[in-house]
Amino acid sequence: MSSESLILFFIVGVFLVGGAIVFSTFVPPSSVNPNKSDTYECGIPTKGLSWLQFNVGYYLFAILFLIFDVETVFIFPWAVVMKQLGMVAFIEILIFFVILGLGLLYAWKKHALIWE
Amino acid sequence: MTGNQLMFAIFGMLIIIFSILTVTSRRILRSAVFLLFVLVSTAGLYFMLNYQFLAAVQLTVYAGGIVVLIIFSILLTSHISEKFEVVGMKKQIFSGLAAIAGIILTISTILQTEFKATEVAAKEVDMEAIGLSLLNYGENGFVLPFEVISILLLAAMIAAIVIAKKGKTQKP
Amino acid sequence: MRLEDFLLMRHELLLTLIAIIILIAEIFTDDFKKQGIRPLSIILMAIVTIVGFLPAPTGTLFGGMYQATDMRLMMKNILNIGALIVFIQSASWLKSDDNQNKVSEFFLLLISTLIGMNFMISSGDFLMFYLGLELATIPIAALAAYDRYSNKSSEAGIKLILISALSSGILLYGISMIYGTVGSVYFDKVSVAYGATPLQIMSFIFFFTGMAFKISIVPFHLWTADVYEGAPVNVTSYLSVVSKGAAVFIFSIMLVTVFQNIAAMWKDVMWITAAITMTLGNLFAMRQNNLKRFLAFSSISQAGFIMLGIIGGSELGMAAVVYYILVYIFSNLGAFGVIAAISNASGGKENMSDYDGLYKTNPALSLTLTLALFSLAGIPPVAGFFGKFFLFTAVAEKGYWWLLTIAVLNTIISLYYYLLPVKAMFINKAETSIAYFKSDGWTKVGLIICVAGMVIVGFASVIFEYIRTLSFGL
Repeated sequence: MSSESLILFFIVGVFLVGGAIVFSTFVPPSSVNPNKSDTYECGIPTKGLSWLQFNVGYYLFAILFLIFDVETVFIFPWAVVMKQLGMVAFIEILIFFVILGLGLLYAWKKHALIWE
Repeated sequence: MTGNQLMFAIFGMLIIIFSILTVTSRRILRSAVFLLFVLVSTAGLYFMLNYQFLAAVQLTVYAGGIVVLIIFSILLTSHISEKFEVVGMKKQIFSGLAAIAGIILTISTILQTEFKATEVAAKEVDMEAIGLSLLNYGENGFVLPFEVISILLLAAMIAAIVIAKKGKTQKP
Repeated sequence: MRLEDFLLMRHELLLTLIAIIILIAEIFTDDFKKQGIRPLSIILMAIVTIVGFLPAPTGTLFGGMYQATDMRLMMKNILNIGALIVFIQSASWLKSDDNQNKVSEFFLLLISTLIGMNFMISSGDFLMFYLGLELATIPIAALAAYDRYSNKSSEAGIKLILISALSSGILLYGISMIYGTVGSVYFDKVSVAYGATPLQIMSFIFFFTGMAFKISIVPFHLWTADVYEGAPVNVTSYLSVVSKGAAVFIFSIMLVTVFQNIAAMWKDVMWITAAITMTLGNLFAMRQNNLKRFLAFSSISQAGFIMLGIIGGSELGMAAVVYYILVYIFSNLGAFGVIAAISNASGGKENMSDYDGLYKTNPALSLTLTLALFSLAGIPPVAGFFGKFFLFTAVAEKGYWWLLTIAVLNTIISLYYYLLPVKAMFINKAETSIAYFKSDGWTKVGLIICVAGMVIVGFASVIFEYIRTLSFGL
């Protein structure tokens, strides 16, 4: 990508997003009403804060996702040269897969993959 | 100023501004979002270097994965609407001075150095080159780190489960 | 690459293999058979430790990324011994109800850190070095938070992971500067091209700071006491002995090989930090009441003593460092083993005043702790004396008289506080001292190995001579 196209992309992006915000601030008619900024859900006012503590399960899923995300990053270059390198590439990725596959099996066995 | 320099300046400014906002914001969730902007701007730098793969990794792993993980962890801790307390004036001044002194020292040292810039034609680092050096076991090959990373990921997975899993394993 | 080449990597490969075996055993057995995992892991680790000592070829692999020399193999063997003792000492602690269903994880995480340390010691470039370092620190943080229901343990885990992230960041910044000025990450290329331009000196400072956090050298030691106190005793002992040992090993290798061009400079830096580390570690250790904190500060000051050998820099100095770590493993693990046994049997009593009159009720444990503390202090009959003696010789040989004086003074100070627990056990009277209890077989075996190590390593001069012959090649 040459820098000219990047600059063009950047300017167009700034213009479109910024333009939309400016446009919507100035052009439409505005009517202010306290009910509009009220909570919308079922009409009942919330009690206390609406921030909830998340279940720890989310964290577990997120970190498992992240680990396999990183794994994908490494598999992608491998897939490109797989045919070219043949057997060597196969053995190398096999070791990689076996170790991480065992990790997945372990997570499964520990019931980390089901929602409690 | 060429186009490249202009883009570099823009991305650099974005990174610096959002980095400062990340550490100075008093709401932790906002800090996480500012961090996201820092990471995305860094991806922009990689795009400028014509290193599409690294930029894509930066976007998927850092901006996509790690920030999500950070936000989940923030939401996991309960007192979320809490603001950090304002640090005392004395501490602010001293840490500010220390940071500025560090910045001046680092930048002046880097500016003094003449990096041996080798004149190479703008080279496209394509996937094939990356794959070949990743799986190469000779010099400048990275197959050993590649395999060790699988052990690191496995250990991270086990460690996360040990910390986060409830005591007794429940039957499904 | 031929198949025999993998013999060079046998430490790492065997450790990976036993990690996989334990993982498979964990996945494919039901709850009833899981009891077998503890003895299985210990036996496998013992086999790996013994196999490690068998003679094997040396050389480099992966284009210089992996280096196996006799000295590095010796270092790995020493770490294996330390890990084995920790495994044995943890066996009875892991049997308790809280830990029942995460036994294999304990072993798996420890083994993976050990794999990381081994790769780190054998690294021939900064990439493998950094990867090994990360593999050696991340799982340990999870282990520090192993006691899920103790706030202190979680705090230790958080502190450890934050401080290791910070120090890794600093280290990585230094490495990136080195790469920027030299254009290569391979040690042999860096060592040739490394000069003393301002940026390179700065990169060294960053590198030094990062490593100083890992070894807990004084201005960067503040995390040590809290983490050591909060983590479970067995994890603390691993952290203070094996983790620290591995970091010292690779640090000394890199200082002598990679940064040899600026040796005069790093020796000055080390001189000052070593003096401060020994002194401050000692002064703080004197004031501690909790024994884990006490040993944390004692391990800080021990790190200062170890740096003496690195400053000596000669082949005698390297041998002294490696030998001292070996001795330190036996002594510190002996002390921690006794503390762990007492803490487990008495429901978490770890304060020095709890040990009053212990000799009356538990003479064997008291004697072991006394011996271990003597060895840490460097009192003649046990191995610690010889370890310190060689370190001092290495410094004296190079003519660092002032540093030697400071070190000797610190040894005398340290005698005082190492004898405090001994006084508590033998002299102090207590109305309710900890009642007599019988430790189980594993604990006994662990302590016997430590005691035997402290005595034999000291008297068998063969061991030091052998290490010394290895230290030529590094």
